[in-house]
Amino acid sequence: MKQVAYYKGCLASLSAKELDSSTQALAPRVGLDLIELETVTCCGAGDIQEAEPDYYLHLNARILAYAAATGSDTLLTVCNVCTLNLRQANFQLIGDSELRRRVNQNLLAVGVPAYERDVDVRHLLWELAGEEGYPRLVEAAHKGLRGLKVAPFYGCQILRPSRILGFEDPDQPSSLERIIEACGGEAIDYPAKLKCCGFPIIQAREETALGELVQPIEQAIEAGADAMVTPCPLCHLSLDAWQSKLKAMTGRDFGMPILHLSQLVGVAAGLKESELKFKRHVVPVGPAVERLEID
Amino acid sequence: MATGGEVVLMKVWLKIWRANTADGDRVLREYEVDAPEWATLLDVLDIVKDQHDGTLSYRKSCRMMICGSCGMRMDGAAVLACKTRMYDIAESGHVPVISAMGNLPIIKDLVVDMEPFWAKFRAVDPYLQPGYLEPNNGKEYLISQERMNVIHKEALCINCGCCVSECNAMESSPEFLGPQALAKAMRFAGDPRDGAKVDRLELLNGQHGIWECTRCYFCNERCPKGVDPRDAIAKLGAESIKEGIDRDMGAKHAKWFVASAKTTGWLRETELVPKTQGIVEAIKQTRFALDLAKHGKVPLPFPPHVAKGVRESRRLHDLLFEQDKRGYAGIVQGEPALAKLAHGYREGERDPYGPGSFPRPYVAEDR
Repeated sequence: MKQVAYYKGCLASLSAKELDSSTQALAPRVGLDLIELETVTCCGAGDIQEAEPDYYLHLNARILAYAAATGSDTLLTVCNVCTLNLRQANFQLIGDSELRRRVNQNLLAVGVPAYERDVDVRHLLWELAGEEGYPRLVEAAHKGLRGLKVAPFYGCQILRPSRILGFEDPDQPSSLERIIEACGGEAIDYPAKLKCCGFPIIQAREETALGELVQPIEQAIEAGADAMVTPCPLCHLSLDAWQSKLKAMTGRDFGMPILHLSQLVGVAAGLKESELKFKRHVVPVGPAVERLEID
Repeated sequence: MATGGEVVLMKVWLKIWRANTADGDRVLREYEVDAPEWATLLDVLDIVKDQHDGTLSYRKSCRMMICGSCGMRMDGAAVLACKTRMYDIAESGHVPVISAMGNLPIIKDLVVDMEPFWAKFRAVDPYLQPGYLEPNNGKEYLISQERMNVIHKEALCINCGCCVSECNAMESSPEFLGPQALAKAMRFAGDPRDGAKVDRLELLNGQHGIWECTRCYFCNERCPKGVDPRDAIAKLGAESIKEGIDRDMGAKHAKWFVASAKTTGWLRETELVPKTQGIVEAIKQTRFALDLAKHGKVPLPFPPHVAKGVRESRRLHDLLFEQDKRGYAGIVQGEPALAKLAHGYREGERDPYGPGSFPRPYVAEDR
């Protein structure tokens, strides 16, 4: 078992609880021992960076400091936006000792341990697709997806900017495809799989955001997908919950089920409905996964 | 690869999308050329034009990554043709597909109409507007390096359009000012000699300004000069909020995250909509919200979900307020960190910046 500090982030704590429950249930089956971080806050989701950048840096340094305090080398995330925000802060802090000194002084001044020992921020996707995790995933996914056609949707902030994320080629990633296939599914290819879902501006510029959101869903359907999978709960929220708004825009009822990464692997690993919590989805998942016989 | 003075040739295969908007003709043609091992994509295009097909159209000028003329797409990704070496690609046997940049109308083959690009460029008043009368010492204006560092990256822009080509928000909303114009705007709004900062920020807070950026990060990924336009947009957002220009829904949205972090620690999701859009707009969303609520997607704000130790994040906020690094002064782009790109990759792991890997993002210390 690999011990990792687990940072849920806001969505998995609240509106995407199904992401948390499926991740917690899946973790031991793929060799991950999660130590849940409690004394942490929101990473800022890029918004705090855009409102008060210095506060963003310190909030993330605080999360990193508490992760290091668990003794783990890895801080596990389940959200693209958390991943980028934390890795970006980590990248800056590790690479700039003067900056780190100032941030640590501030952390200590408010009673937070200094961020001394480096931790690596890694998304669940990377743990599952990485050298250590992949063989465990293959073993865990014994129930298989029985040829389910799944369209991978990466989401921006797990690929770009690659100099901060850097797990794989940002233009030709393959981690999701390899996971889908290890689970016995068929990975569907379509042009918009690397593009933006529009979520960051879905409230402030809904029309622009929906113009982005429609592309992957439309293309995935055209390519014959039964369902889509994403490693990001923000992409999940727009793809799943905002799908109904596309109906008003296009006149088409897409009905495309959207799975979290942990749910997709969870189905293949035989997790129960009480752990997968598909009932929490807005677009019913039933038609796509019924034949997979979930307990 | 040969290192001496002799020219060693290699075979390069490539496919080019030939387009002629005059007659609507669009066809993918394949070419095979002999090129020196050191050839860039631009060199290869020159050989195609000289030796194979004189009708091929593309732009070029300096051939050394400074004029910004030869932006185009290779395998769907915007590149400067003169910066893209072909050796590894030719060696691997891959046949790249070359096409015109995105988000701009094609005139012919690889030539796009840059007018929409320049219109946005002009819209941000891309020149200094000095607001001073006399230098303090009666001789000259002295500016610290620290103050110029804020716009160091933005000043590197060569107006090639690679960022605009890939901008996801602009695909959906063509009027969006976009990464290049906004980075250019930051170059002047952040210049200590400029006297029109607040007017500039007001303009940039319009319907198609900074808050329409969807944070897809394609601009940072593609920029061949390391401008990082997305970071420039974040700087403009932070400076707007610092200056109290926060009426846009995007600014309110961003501020609510700060308010959440220092009160409960976690994002107060349910209140985010009325805080961003205002009560009236939020009420219009009631039916949509109720639909989401059925699936637990609208968590009740009471009792609030409070993070353990949230007092620390509140005190941190107060402390930083005193240190006054708000606005663009607080954005760290990690220049010292960039010098140590090795971070994150352990010994023995694949080095994503190593040979045979994907095109390396520009770094100041590049080879």
